[in-house]
Amino acid sequence: MKIVACVKQVPDTTEVKIDEKTGTLIREGVPSIINPFDQFAVELAIKLKEEHGGEVSVISMGPPQAKAVLTKSLALGADKAVLLSDRKFAGADTLATAYTLALAIEKLGDFDLVLCGLQAIDGDTAQVGPEMAQRLKIPQITYAENVVFEDNKFIVDKLTESGLEKLQVKPPALVAVITPSDFVPGNPPFSKIMKAKKKPLDTWTADDLGGDPERFGLNGSPTWVKRVYSPPRKEKGEILTDPPEEVAKRLVEILAKEGFL
Amino acid sequence: MIEVDAEKCSGCKKCVKVCPYGAVTMADKLAVIGDECNLCGACEQNCPEGAITIQRKKVEIDESKFKDVWVVAEIAENKLKNVTLELLGKGRELADELGQTLCAVLIGKDVKSYTKVLGEYGADKIYLAENDLLEFYNTDSYNMIISGMILQFNPNIVLFGATHVGRDLAPRIASNLELGLTADCTGLSIDEGRLLQTRPAFGGNVMADILSHTRPQMATVRPNVMKKLESPTDKVPEIVEVSVNVDPRGMRTKVLERTEISGVGAVKIDEADVIIAGGRGLGSKENLKLLQDLADELGGVLGASRVIVDEQWLPKSQQIGQSGITVSPKLYIGAGISGAIQHLVGMKSSDTIIVINKDPNAPIFEVAKIGVVGDLTQVIPALIEAIKAHKAAQ
Amino acid sequence: MNIQTFSEEQDLFRESLREFCEQTIVPRRTELEDKKEIPDDIIKAMAEFELLAPSVSPDFGGAGFDAVTAGIAAEELARADPTCSIPVLYLVQCSWGHVFNKFGTEEAKGEILPKVTKGEAICGIATTEADIGSDLGNMVTTIKPTDKGYVINGNKNYISGVREAAKYGGGHVTLARQDLEAGTRGMTMFFFPLKDVPGVTISEDEEMGREAISTGGFIIDNVEIPKHYLIGEENKGFYLVHIGYEYARGLIALVCVGAAMKSIENGIAYIKERKAFGRPIGKYEAIQFALAEHYTRLEMARDFAYKALYYLEKEQSEGKYSRMEVSKIIAMSKLLTPGWAFNAIDDAMQWQGAFGYSRECPDQSALRAIRSFTLAEGSREIMRLIVARELLGKDFIAYK
Ligand SMILES: Cc1cc2nc3c(=O)[nH]c(=O)nc-3n(C[C@H](O)[C@H](O)[C@H](O)COP(=O)(O)OP(=O)(O)OC[C@H]3O[C@@H](n4cnc5c(N)ncnc54)[C@H](O)[C@@H]3O)c2cc1C
Ligand SMILES: Cc1cc2nc3c(=O)[nH]c(=O)nc-3n(C[C@H](O)[C@H](O)[C@H](O)COP(=O)(O)OP(=O)(O)OC[C@H]3O[C@@H](n4cnc5c(N)ncnc54)[C@H](O)[C@@H]3O)c2cc1C
Repeated sequence: MKIVACVKQVPDTTEVKIDEKTGTLIREGVPSIINPFDQFAVELAIKLKEEHGGEVSVISMGPPQAKAVLTKSLALGADKAVLLSDRKFAGADTLATAYTLALAIEKLGDFDLVLCGLQAIDGDTAQVGPEMAQRLKIPQITYAENVVFEDNKFIVDKLTESGLEKLQVKPPALVAVITPSDFVPGNPPFSKIMKAKKKPLDTWTADDLGGDPERFGLNGSPTWVKRVYSPPRKEKGEILTDPPEEVAKRLVEILAKEGFL
Repeated sequence: MIEVDAEKCSGCKKCVKVCPYGAVTMADKLAVIGDECNLCGACEQNCPEGAITIQRKKVEIDESKFKDVWVVAEIAENKLKNVTLELLGKGRELADELGQTLCAVLIGKDVKSYTKVLGEYGADKIYLAENDLLEFYNTDSYNMIISGMILQFNPNIVLFGATHVGRDLAPRIASNLELGLTADCTGLSIDEGRLLQTRPAFGGNVMADILSHTRPQMATVRPNVMKKLESPTDKVPEIVEVSVNVDPRGMRTKVLERTEISGVGAVKIDEADVIIAGGRGLGSKENLKLLQDLADELGGVLGASRVIVDEQWLPKSQQIGQSGITVSPKLYIGAGISGAIQHLVGMKSSDTIIVINKDPNAPIFEVAKIGVVGDLTQVIPALIEAIKAHKAAQ
Repeated sequence: MNIQTFSEEQDLFRESLREFCEQTIVPRRTELEDKKEIPDDIIKAMAEFELLAPSVSPDFGGAGFDAVTAGIAAEELARADPTCSIPVLYLVQCSWGHVFNKFGTEEAKGEILPKVTKGEAICGIATTEADIGSDLGNMVTTIKPTDKGYVINGNKNYISGVREAAKYGGGHVTLARQDLEAGTRGMTMFFFPLKDVPGVTISEDEEMGREAISTGGFIIDNVEIPKHYLIGEENKGFYLVHIGYEYARGLIALVCVGAAMKSIENGIAYIKERKAFGRPIGKYEAIQFALAEHYTRLEMARDFAYKALYYLEKEQSEGKYSRMEVSKIIAMSKLLTPGWAFNAIDDAMQWQGAFGYSRECPDQSALRAIRSFTLAEGSREIMRLIVARELLGKDFIAYK
């Protein structure tokens, strides 16, 4: 089984802080990590490979530093990695990102499954997966918590707003995953990290991919970010430390005022 | 693609500070843009000297070809989703400002009866596609039908709810038709005739205003953010029936099994106006009863942080947060939830947030409008009593 | 900034290990203190993460750690386990596993090391006796060749991991006198098993800290061990024992830095929040100055510790640098670091007031544990002797 997993390097947004005075993001000291859902995608890909044989390729589009997430994926057990890195890719919105990733997936050759995260914790759009699937002309399943392979079909557990669905799809397909609650991200030990060093990790540029140069990066992006700013700060909340009866009185006052009673 | 004008740059470092990617550095008092740059434009907008410019390609759009505001309706359990009605509310405003028509797109099996409600909540016109094979949402068939409608009728704006369905479908269509799509919007307005789309990113740490230079302009919109019409009208919308051919072979994913875990008919957590959520601090499953009693008083539903779901005290359908459901109810009461960031991103855009926690340092206090430092097993019963007393007095 | 820059792989390893510790070790601190043993599931997880004797060659289940990578793990484990029980198990096995792996017989290695790396046996070190610690040349334990192997008599005391070795299997790299006339030049190193061995009487000591790993002793009454348990050559043990000591001393410095840095971080968080006389206590210069000094010392100690391990690695793997040079630089690293770490933790506890002295505060565990490192694997006085000997030459050794 040939699986391609898409991984994005993201700032650990849980550690991003806002400068109280200027209201801007403090990026300094915020570590770059593998997008959490993508780590599950990689580990799921490896699990499927271990059960059914085959090969796991990981791809990432990003600056040269994004190599770190590929090395980590290789250490977790992926077989080969490709970094898509070129100034021409900069400024890509999801459509251009999906275009670029899809070209790379096609260049890698035949595949049975593309796994990606549902969404990246920085851009937060959850659009790249379906946009890639459409471009690759393959079916998609999003919000997936697990994938198994039976009778030449993928069986996928999908979280819906009211429950769960078990879906079936024939390869090739794209599945966008969220982390199931019992998922503990794997940590590769030293020997696997050293082995990863010996696995193939290529860098492809826009020229390597071919394709239409007008569809990469900023040029290929129909959405424009006009302005980025910090959200209006919520004023500091009211803290109540009185005995329960007092607190309850105050809460009822507020609930009534806001129309909840 | 991005240039720093050495003449104009004063070396003030403002760009260094505002860059969300940490891509700008200073060399000899001149801003230098590094490889990490993603051309997001934060530096360009914030440079007091106007020294940074991003070259964008010029795009000509024939605006006259694209008319109308569309809302893609979503049905769940024999009911229109709230978000559809909210989008109609917003769509009405936008359509009026543009002087265009507000249309709803309604797809399914035997769904004509919903046209009435869509009209009452603002739709002037409804594009209706009915087919027995469309009873349940399917990415392939819905993509094919809506893409076809867009090509046929050339709308100016198409809005989807940022629900599990909307977020599965909208990007598929956007990619099919090579359109821009803005995700998870919390604000929409008209700016010089264009749709200005406002959305949070970076886990809610930044807001972005986004424009599309393709038509239709497409966006998914967060539930519970827009307001539906306060007084529904009795308008009868025009109905345009669109005939569709659905080939079951084109529907490549098949549902083998569906499990409703929130209970049939129950208010879905993403649609609830009032959510009472519990976390680790509940201590025991028995204390859930307290939350349920409070929820009953306030007409709310129960929500949970991940631990509670892991312990199987509540089903996964009630899990709020990054790997659960994102909610933004009018009232969120969190009891015994410390506020791990994964939970916070799933609820922090709620209107009124009240939290009860023993630990005054719990991170959840930072997003709370009202923070109660106390023991939930004492505060909640007291609150229930007080609510009852208040109701009795009225 | 580090003088010693780490490879990309080492950075990734540290990151991965820190996550591992957050998941596996950090939440279990009080359990380690209360149960007074390292739970089996942690041992198993450590085996899977290659933290048991990782310096051993992959042929025997090891991970092939170099000394610098070994140092990274020592530092991270100490950040995660303030009782330092896990770091002690780790560093002892890493150091003496290295010696065993390098100088043991193939037969003994094949028999014992795979069990050690899997977490099914212990590999400790036993040199100290009831009446002798620093002055090894005067120990009473003897080793005599027989037809089939060797017969051992004597005792060992204050030995880490005795209870564990008696329970799970494995044993200790041990030193005894063979040529009684030759002093330190007549000592032999061998592997001594502790589980169900007739003639061995085991005792346990109660320690001030490191509660999840035992310290104990054993009396050896005419116990025969097989020939292949010999490590290195007969009468060359005193030379070999220093390689293990140096490895362990190098790692101990990083255990001290890891634990103390963590305490300082705990302290920083506390002094920013805690108010006295109307302001956070972190606003008072008396606190700030102490913080600045501790932090500075620890950063210096940290860089120096990695440098010392780098020297050791180069000497062990490439024959670069002399043994004596390495002895000195390692001794320098172990000379001041445990004391600095102890003082840093002491102050971090002080800043936390009464809470600092409560069982709930992890730093009191660290304080009690770190105190052992001015002694274990060579006392600080002996470190001074080594450094001075290298500076002045052999003629100035006081006791000769
Ligand atoms: C503030 C801000 C707002 C933005 N808003 C929009 C918007 O509304 N619409 C829009 O089209 N673009 C938007 N963008 C651009 C968007 O962030 C980028 O296109 C980004 O490259 C991909 O989007 P994402 O991070 O949302 O990924 P998602 O679509 O959330 O990612 C889903 C999955 O796709 C895969 N993936 C995504 N990116 C990569 C990659 N580079 N390499 C490998 N795998 C990848 C991963 O598996 C990931 O888990 C915005 C950018 C900024 C800075
Ligand atoms: C918790 C713990 C665990 C241990 N685990 C092990 C183990 O696993 N294996 C093992 O073999 N040993 C172990 N030891 C023993 C340790 O190696 C010895 O304590 C150390 O070598 C010192 O020996 P000693 O205690 O006999 O002190 P002594 O050698 O009796 O010395 C007593 C004091 O005199 C000082 N001193 C000695 N000679 C001189 C001199 N020439 N000039 C100035 N001062 C001098 C010493 O520094 C010390 O302060 C452990 C010790 C501790 C505390």
